[in-house]
Amino acid sequence: MSGLPIGRDRVLVLEKRGHFSQSAALLVPVISIICALFGGSLFLLATGYDPVEIYVTMLSGAFGSAYGLSETVVKAIPLMLCGLAVSVAFRMQLWNIGAEGQLYMGAVAASWVALFHGEGSRLGVLALMFLAAAAAGGIWGLIPAIPRALFKVNETITTLMLNYVAILYSNYLVYGPWKDPKGMNFPLSAVFPEHATLPYFGDTRIHLGLVFGLIAAVMLYIILWHTRWGYEIRVIGESPVAARYAGMNIARNILLVMALSGGLAGLAGMAEVSGITQRLQPNLSPGYGYTAIIVAWLGRLNPFAITGVSFLLAGLLVGGYNMQMSGLPAATVSILQGAILFFILGGEILTKYHLRIRDARGIEVAE
Amino acid sequence: MYKKVLALITVLLMAVAVFAGCGGGADKASSGQQGEDKSQEAEKTKVAFIYVGPAGDAGWSYAHDLGRKYLEENVSGIEVTPPLESVPEGADAEQVIENLVQKGNKIIFATSFGYMDAMEKVAKKHPDVTFLHCSGYKVLDNMGTYFGRIYQPRYLSGIVAGKTTKSNTIGYVAAFPIPEVVRGINAFTLGVRSVNPDAKVKVVWTNTWYDPAKEKDAAKSLLEQGADVVAQHQDTPGPMQAAEEAGKFGVSYNSDMRQFAPKAVLTGPVWNWGPYYAETVQAILDGTWKSEQYWGPIGDGIVDLAPYGDMVTDDVKALVDAKEREIVDGTWDVFTGPIKDNTGKERVAAGAKLTDQEMLEMLWFVEGVDGIIPQE
Amino acid sequence: MTTPLVKMVSITKRFPGVTANKDIYFELRPGEIHALLGENGAGKSTLMNILTGLYMPDEGDIYIRGTKVKFSSPRGAIESGIGMVHQHFRLVPTFSVAENVIMGSGDHGFFVNMKSVEEKLARFSGEYGINVMPGSKIWQLSVGEQQRVEIVKMLYRGTNIMILDEPTAVLTPQESRELFATLRRMADMGKGIIVISHKIQEVLDNADRITVLRDGRYVDTFSGKDTDSRKLTMAMVDRDISFGQNLADKPKGNFILRLKGLTVLGDRGQKALKSLSLNLCKGEILGIAGVAGNGQKELAEVIAGLREVAAGDIEVRGERFTGKSARAMIDAGISLIPEDRLGTGLVGPLNIMENSILKNYRSGEVASGWFINWKRVREYAHRLVDKFDVKTTGVDAPVRMLSGGNLQKLLLAREITNDPDVIVAVYPVRGLDVGAIEFVRNILLRQRDTGKGILLISEELEELFMLSDRVAVIHEGEIMGILDREDFDLERVGRLMAGEREEGAYERAANR
Repeated sequence: MSGLPIGRDRVLVLEKRGHFSQSAALLVPVISIICALFGGSLFLLATGYDPVEIYVTMLSGAFGSAYGLSETVVKAIPLMLCGLAVSVAFRMQLWNIGAEGQLYMGAVAASWVALFHGEGSRLGVLALMFLAAAAAGGIWGLIPAIPRALFKVNETITTLMLNYVAILYSNYLVYGPWKDPKGMNFPLSAVFPEHATLPYFGDTRIHLGLVFGLIAAVMLYIILWHTRWGYEIRVIGESPVAARYAGMNIARNILLVMALSGGLAGLAGMAEVSGITQRLQPNLSPGYGYTAIIVAWLGRLNPFAITGVSFLLAGLLVGGYNMQMSGLPAATVSILQGAILFFILGGEILTKYHLRIRDARGIEVAE
Repeated sequence: MYKKVLALITVLLMAVAVFAGCGGGADKASSGQQGEDKSQEAEKTKVAFIYVGPAGDAGWSYAHDLGRKYLEENVSGIEVTPPLESVPEGADAEQVIENLVQKGNKIIFATSFGYMDAMEKVAKKHPDVTFLHCSGYKVLDNMGTYFGRIYQPRYLSGIVAGKTTKSNTIGYVAAFPIPEVVRGINAFTLGVRSVNPDAKVKVVWTNTWYDPAKEKDAAKSLLEQGADVVAQHQDTPGPMQAAEEAGKFGVSYNSDMRQFAPKAVLTGPVWNWGPYYAETVQAILDGTWKSEQYWGPIGDGIVDLAPYGDMVTDDVKALVDAKEREIVDGTWDVFTGPIKDNTGKERVAAGAKLTDQEMLEMLWFVEGVDGIIPQE
Repeated sequence: MTTPLVKMVSITKRFPGVTANKDIYFELRPGEIHALLGENGAGKSTLMNILTGLYMPDEGDIYIRGTKVKFSSPRGAIESGIGMVHQHFRLVPTFSVAENVIMGSGDHGFFVNMKSVEEKLARFSGEYGINVMPGSKIWQLSVGEQQRVEIVKMLYRGTNIMILDEPTAVLTPQESRELFATLRRMADMGKGIIVISHKIQEVLDNADRITVLRDGRYVDTFSGKDTDSRKLTMAMVDRDISFGQNLADKPKGNFILRLKGLTVLGDRGQKALKSLSLNLCKGEILGIAGVAGNGQKELAEVIAGLREVAAGDIEVRGERFTGKSARAMIDAGISLIPEDRLGTGLVGPLNIMENSILKNYRSGEVASGWFINWKRVREYAHRLVDKFDVKTTGVDAPVRMLSGGNLQKLLLAREITNDPDVIVAVYPVRGLDVGAIEFVRNILLRQRDTGKGILLISEELEELFMLSDRVAVIHEGEIMGILDREDFDLERVGRLMAGEREEGAYERAANR
């Protein structure tokens, strides 16, 4: 029996609640967010700030103005794509922690097209970048899928490790071969030609990547609930034994799903380089691939819910800079953001599970 | 069951309270904000700063923050927004700068090279706002650049280091292989070799501006390789602490770092942004500011040498003072020929001087530097 | 008469929905090996868990050496000298034997005197002939050696009432003999040994006395000398045997499924089926009788393409199907009604519609190209539910909300609607109520009548005799004999189930 040892022969364990009604399912995220705001406000009070004022600053910064809202959307795009990416994998109980690396590989591939094959019509170049990014991310997702499918090698570790490889490879390119010759030796690639950049909506920074994300959500929904493939994915995710019994090819599905997952994350990379930075550079992603895991969980792996959650989390990130402008130090903002996420997840877990104390052999002692 | 219902009600009540609090607070705060805007719009211009590291880094961002405080105290009619710290030089920068504009800031200082593209993009959209970018090269009508000739005090600190070293090996912890840093290494090395022609300067790249652990480790590796003085082009006192722990000496950067390594720090080039910030903002307020690429010399006071450590002798100080006077007078500058690069090729003929443009594009090491500049 | 080491009187233990032990009597004397015999689920483990303090009995008393005790935790039982060697060993693989032995014994301080530990281990070796190398790491040892470490661990703690749960399940025959020799020496030193088992022959060979449990009740305690396998089998599986309806003899069709010399490995790498041969004809029900755990699960899985064939061949309609995938077996018309309805046969969180197409989701019936046509699925699911009278709130309900009987009806509905040629039904009525049992049995008979070949794996002889045209008896992965309907005989089947081979069994199987 695993669990947290609390004294002699006693462990604290989390148990899934047996029954979980529909109304409770809706209540969970609400309670989680309330817990989060409440927990965050305790922290703010402890550090001597007025939580109400800080929250107002955060919310108004992220959602209170057309500009803030547009920035929240901009930030939501990579979260959405990566969140969708990891959610398909999670649905099949493949713990793809590698969206970050898949994003970077997508960005590298898109940059390669933009920098070295950027001639031609804007549509043509963008389409090529799109395909290259999806393929590169997909391959990066496929690499850990192969040992997983064939030898049951735990993909949590391999996907995580490949993140470092991808980030370092991208850095190598911008520090080395792809460095802009006119960039004063600074680690930046050359700026993409105009027709290798995603078009914007009006004069906001919201770019076409938003459409990628929304289409991806609809597509995923259709795949999962209206195709034979999606049906296989859901059966495998719920019960691999039943899937085997039904004659489904689990290994092939692992490969396909990881490629799809990686491809979506790769698109996030393309959206970032083509829509935002318009060049390849270090620190492209402030951890979108990791935040996406939270997005996917809070969205309960549902494509449309993930779209919504990505806007909320984007708001939390965008609001952070606003809090700094009202005088909260950067470190405090980071801690507050962390605390809010912690409480959201904590609330989520505690409404789905309950704590029990068991003795060493697993016999319940008391609730 | 009864208990659970009770708990649920409690939670809901709390939630309502929080939301009500938020709502009420929002009204109050936003109305307060508007009132403030109306009454102060005419008289107070908002000024904002973006830092790449935390304001308390004791290095680069700290020096700028001292300048910001100086500005706040010495110029009236402005409101200085709390600084935005630790803004990454990536995707977020554009959003942060745009956000500052949206919040009504009329003068924005971005204090790291990596903000250049982002600031240029935002500046094109907002001709009514003045943008000032530190250390870059892109200029618009409403966007100027500013920097100081830090290579001048670096040369002077090289004299101190050259006089101090016994092993004739001096370490240099350097951030990125860009002209700004390369120029500093070269100036420093020229200073060292002006008093000690046998000394060599070993360079290690960290590829980061701000990473205390990494910088310290880089310095340690230099010390292990026989360096007895360590200089730095980094934003934290990490390399100085490494020198102190090894019982060796250091040449700091950005600000007076003696408090972190009192036995090690000889001196070091420092920034003194305050006067520049005050003058520039005043000029913008007066309407006399014109977009420019400001590169202030030691004579303007924007760059200087930190106070000497106790171990520096008066002889050395005198030597430095003499050289400083030559630079301030304009009778001599650092990159005056003859200068050879570290492959032996002559780069500056005897009597010739590098132009500003040549210095801004400098990507080669002078003789005496032990290191390579990674480039393709 | 000496005081019994253990006396358990009128023990009753209820779990939500089941009574695991009802009014059980058990007695262990010093110096004896006492077997606790019963089928899976007969209540053996529950009883031993009560004795080791893991569960508190709802009713009844426990006496240790004549003193009434009440264990509120395993610690109390350990302090009374009770120790148990579990089927799954509780050893730390990276620790040495000596470290594992002293772990949890609690009679040493912070520092351990390894020398004294080793001396003690050497003494055990002399006294009981049980050899272990104190310095070896657990992961380096064979399963049999690990079991010895477990036993030594108990001896080191001063255990004199030792319980072993299915100790020979993981051992070779040679190792089993050695184990019982060791146990006998320990008994001769005055300790009491309880061996949990469902292997009749092993129990007869080694136990002094045998207590049989059935369906959570006490049946009887036999003396090892005065009983035989037939009596024990009767005690273990006896049920009211009555042949209900008299079934008309069906003309036998052709072989539809042939298993030729099939060898299959179990989950632990042991040979679960040993060169097993069996033929199934069209239009017959072939019953597989046997005590649970003798290879039935592996037999069903290998036919469904879910388990690898180590040796031998599978033929369907005369065509070789050895090593084919589960999908190929489904396409060949082989349908498995798995033992585990919810989890293997049906996916709990998915709804009835989604579960109804688990086997045919790729067929044109419910899919067009890559897409699933949910309208047609809905109609299809409604047809299944109506035809088999599945009680449900609607086809959108998750199947985990269904009762056991309705789960099995839905499962059968799906499998039979796909019109298979072979149906492998594993314990198809286990856990169902009377009405549902009737329903399921009728479906199997009707399918037989339409010419399908049905392999019925069951532990209820009554059911097998009632439904089957032939009954094959399986024991330790081998077919001990095959009986035609006119030869059905409880006693004979009981002997075969206990492992007594009938001459000519294989010939009969092959020539049939």
